[in-house]
Amino acid sequence: MSISPRARPTGSWEHLLWTFTRLSGLALLLFGAFSLAMGFVYGGRTQLDLPGFMRWMFFPNPNHVVNSDIPDVTAGWSNAFWQIYSMLMIALASAHAMNGVRMVLEDYLKRPLAVAVLRMLIGGLWIAALIVAVYVILAS
Amino acid sequence: MQVTLRVRRFDPEKDKRPHMQSFVVEAEPTDQVLDLLNRVKDYQDGSLTYRRSCGHGICGSDAMRINGRNRLACKVLVRDLGATITVEPLMGLSVIKDLVVDLKPFFEHYKSVMPYLVNDEPAPARERLQTPAQRLRYDDTTKCILCAACTTGCPSFWANGEYVGPAAIVQAHRFTFDSRDRAGAERLQILNDRMGVWRCHDIFNCTEACPREIEITKAIGEVKLAIATGRIE
Repeated sequence: MSISPRARPTGSWEHLLWTFTRLSGLALLLFGAFSLAMGFVYGGRTQLDLPGFMRWMFFPNPNHVVNSDIPDVTAGWSNAFWQIYSMLMIALASAHAMNGVRMVLEDYLKRPLAVAVLRMLIGGLWIAALIVAVYVILAS
Repeated sequence: MQVTLRVRRFDPEKDKRPHMQSFVVEAEPTDQVLDLLNRVKDYQDGSLTYRRSCGHGICGSDAMRINGRNRLACKVLVRDLGATITVEPLMGLSVIKDLVVDLKPFFEHYKSVMPYLVNDEPAPARERLQTPAQRLRYDDTTKCILCAACTTGCPSFWANGEYVGPAAIVQAHRFTFDSRDRAGAERLQILNDRMGVWRCHDIFNCTEACPREIEITKAIGEVKLAIATGRIE
């Protein structure tokens, strides 16, 4: 039986973030699978070692490829697509992680003011992490 | 066999803080831990304080921490624990005396989720019928005896007593998924709160602690899903 629309629970912040955690976790796996597959397509199987491949998988950045046996990193490995891809992946991964930290810490907080301060602090940390990540990606 | 029973004791009129006290008790391997407590109280120290009633795992009065795990003292046998048994009060609730904790916050959370059938529709001539499948839907959560072993075994509850706790969610599940009930949406609204169902992090301590073997984490997951989808199925 379905709940009548009038009586259906209205969305809550916690509900929203609980859903986000699950969807972002799934999305990160798909992101990782795609960069792994594309690494194989570019010939990484014979020219990249396993640690290098893993780094590329979860952070597709040409820095992880330059010291490998790949003859020309600019072909395939380094372009605007991977830059945007990496930014999206980092944004999602850091939001997923920061939300996890928030969930655990909020277990211990009772006062609304403390919760608000913690959320601002974690939001600030998230933005700081994003700025550093974007700098690293664009400077690569 | 001889068993050393270590009991965490606290008398608010005498003690500044809890302390451990050991008692050596004669026991059969098939004795319950409750039998040992009764033996200590009857023959060694009458001041030892704990709750017990039916002694057969039905009333849920004697939930306590036995060798670090939340259990009913009347369901755990000596042969499964060995010669040294440590008994402590439940965690997350204030201790009144020895093994007796203040269950008022626990029952406040219980009351907050409307743990009763709500149906204001005119009653049929005989009874509100239900198919076996509809009855089976919430069968598991009808087994709860409100012993508090799950809630007081939950790290989220230890961290914050405002969390409604697994036992209250189990009760909400029991009535929300009852086809005769009409207050499911209200209960889900109550649990869709920062200190409601979302404080559960799937740690599974509750499931492990339940003396009735209710799949509590699964029930909580079903409540979360009902809130997320807006469907009670």
